[in-house]
Amino acid sequence: MPGDPSLKRELEVSGIQARFRMDWPGFALDVDLDLPARGVTALFGRSGSGKTTLLRCFAGLERAPQGRLTVNGAVWQDDEKNRNHWLPTHQRPLGYVFQEASLFPHLTVLGNLQYGLKRASGAQPTDLDAAIDLLGIRPLLERKPDRLSGGERQRVSMARALALRPRLLLMDEPLAALDHQRKQEILPYLERLHRALDIPVLYVSHAPDEVARLADHIVVLEAGRAVATGALTETLARLDLPIQLGEDVGVVLDAVVAERDTAWHLARVEFPGGSLWVRDSGHAIGDPVRVRILARDVSIALQPPAGTSIQNCLPATVDQMVGDHHPALTLLRLRLGPSPLLARLTQRSAVGLGLEQGMAVWVQIKAVALIG
Amino acid sequence: MPLTDSDLQAIWLTVRLAGIVTLILLLVGTPIAWSLARSKAWWKGPLSAVVAMPLVLPPSVLGFYLLLTMGPNGPVGQLTTALGIGLLPFTFWGVVIGSVFYSLPFMVQPLQTAFESIGERPLEVAATLRASPLDAFFSVAVPLALPGFLTASILTFAHTVGEFGVVLMIGGNIPGVTRVASVQIYDHVEALEYLQAHRLSAVMLVFSFVVLLALYAWRPKPEKGT
Amino acid sequence: MKTHRFCSLLLFVCTALLALSAHAERITIAAAADLKFAMDEIVVTFKKANPSDEIHVIYGSSGKFHTQIRQGAPYDLFFSADIGFPRELAQAGFAASEVKRYAFGRIVLWSASLDASKLSLGSLTDLRITRIAIANPKHAPYGKRAEEALRAAGVWDKLEPRLVYGENIAHAAQFVQTGNAQVGIIALALAMNPELAAKGGYWLVPDKLHEPLEQGFIITQRAAGSALARRFADYMGDKAARAVMSKYGFVLPDEALSR
Repeated sequence: MPGDPSLKRELEVSGIQARFRMDWPGFALDVDLDLPARGVTALFGRSGSGKTTLLRCFAGLERAPQGRLTVNGAVWQDDEKNRNHWLPTHQRPLGYVFQEASLFPHLTVLGNLQYGLKRASGAQPTDLDAAIDLLGIRPLLERKPDRLSGGERQRVSMARALALRPRLLLMDEPLAALDHQRKQEILPYLERLHRALDIPVLYVSHAPDEVARLADHIVVLEAGRAVATGALTETLARLDLPIQLGEDVGVVLDAVVAERDTAWHLARVEFPGGSLWVRDSGHAIGDPVRVRILARDVSIALQPPAGTSIQNCLPATVDQMVGDHHPALTLLRLRLGPSPLLARLTQRSAVGLGLEQGMAVWVQIKAVALIG
Repeated sequence: MPLTDSDLQAIWLTVRLAGIVTLILLLVGTPIAWSLARSKAWWKGPLSAVVAMPLVLPPSVLGFYLLLTMGPNGPVGQLTTALGIGLLPFTFWGVVIGSVFYSLPFMVQPLQTAFESIGERPLEVAATLRASPLDAFFSVAVPLALPGFLTASILTFAHTVGEFGVVLMIGGNIPGVTRVASVQIYDHVEALEYLQAHRLSAVMLVFSFVVLLALYAWRPKPEKGT
Repeated sequence: MKTHRFCSLLLFVCTALLALSAHAERITIAAAADLKFAMDEIVVTFKKANPSDEIHVIYGSSGKFHTQIRQGAPYDLFFSADIGFPRELAQAGFAASEVKRYAFGRIVLWSASLDASKLSLGSLTDLRITRIAIANPKHAPYGKRAEEALRAAGVWDKLEPRLVYGENIAHAAQFVQTGNAQVGIIALALAMNPELAAKGGYWLVPDKLHEPLEQGFIITQRAAGSALARRFADYMGDKAARAVMSKYGFVLPDEALSR
């Protein structure tokens, strides 16, 4: 119940509560965030929006003059109520992956990995082994950093951060300095990480693909302010603040591979509220996947469409409508069961079909992107 | 042995002086260089200027003022007398202190440059890996700055070996105590003992060349950052 | 046309300057450190009588000047605290005149903290006197004489560990002035200078304790054709010049002979 004090206290003890205010020439930050205790939270925004600064505030590498940061009950910073509490970076149980791997050039890969182990209380050699295997870097241990490729270096830096069993993992655009091929190489490792880790991960990125693929939760930053935060799917489906994750607004849904039609090279993925046919990309039945559906690829019919080339036609309910960026257009949110879907129509169509909130309609989805 | 006993004594004194001064400056100069490299505070400029002053001050000027301050009427002299140490001029340690001032920029500036070239990132990384600032200094900054340490030590040692003006002013030219090789050579020349001057100079030249060559050959290559 | 006019103007100015400078002569004198106050005053009086002449004096150690003149240094007259140096130069062909004696130097005990007039060489062994400054006997004439005097007085062995050496008597005086040495053996001429005299008295070291400090000068070979050099050399024998020398504690050559 909202207002139940014991429940509220419980909620505060888990998760991350962060309030940062800073106003310096060059960057300003003003955020008040409540982030989940697990899963990947993407800090998304254009360059200059303050995402790296925010991440550094979490790490203690920047000190916001007014801030409060609690991580799963532990207070890392508290400037409110005249308290001046500040835990320096080296005393925070975190892991940080920088944009450029920043491995120590005077140590081997193993030396880099063991650097934190010698200093972190509670770190176990088994954690290091697990991290090495998770990132697949065992053959690289004796090499010096200048003998590694960019992708290998980034994997080592991730293992280095993980080996210490951090309670919070911070990643600053870890794929930004890599070319496309290397990115595709590492993304599976990141997904593995995502599934294997029980801790919160803050992932800074301006790349829509990465966010769509990895994030459970999203914080959208603009000029140092959080303009939207929430679970990925719901937040992307907001009409009051359409968030363009790429070329157009659209939703990202978690789904599971339910069926494979090897004759037609298609697969059927199931999400809460329906299922979709997509191209078979080799996933096995039962594999978790994500799908992205852009608003411009969704059209609406009042009757179940017949004789159409579009494979994915599903029943849905109209949830909400707003005007879009052009007066000729309108943006709709629909619900397929609990899952949201965005569609873009002309005003004329919307009025012509007599669309209203709560109405039952059929959606035709022309293109579905399978991500990850 | 073509060199006289007093020549050998002067050489040994010079080597001892240069060695001790280099060691002291490693201890004293490293924190100064580190804070200059990392600080953005207002005093960075003035401190850098003060550190660089011995470069532009004529050594005899520095020596003269050291003579005044370390003498019985000067603040340092009064302090040392009160501490029971006596007066510093004309002693080996007085010359050591004078040389420490005079060679300070030769230790601090290369070190400062080496520290600055490391940048912030490796130290931030160390902090995220649970290293306290002191720990990060020794485990990351020092290994990465090692070529800088060697350059600074070489320059300081060489500069002290060649030092003349300051030692002359406050040394009193006492054999075995403050009569270093440079002063010995000067005395030979003044007394028209040219042959001995040539011999001693040649020895100092060869010695310095060999030491510098060896140190530069063993200098580790700077690590490439990744 | 403009260039032509400019060139003629330049030529005229150059000739005029040359003509003017031909009348005004210029010499550089290298003088031993102990002559500082005496020579300054002599030069001032000389210039009163010869206002258009330029005389430039450099003070330093006699040994150094000797070496420099041998290597071609641009000095026209050399006043040495030790007559040995100009004699050597004359032998080697670097002199354009005979070696002339201009004074006998005397050494004194001087202190800035004690009353030196009450001291003697023997009293230097007092343990309160921890440092005694002298000029380097190896190459400074006054330093050599100081060592001779200390040996003659039988206190050299006792005092040697307490000695500190200045490069010349001015340097030695500096040690005493700053208080770093309690007593110094310096030139009488230096001790008589008003600035040092104000700080303390002096004790004249008996000249029988050391070799006489004959002081001589030459006109260098380089100044062989200089009329001004010759005029100045002659002026040193003038009554006015001799009075200045006496005033500053230099024993004049003919006076010494009569002693």
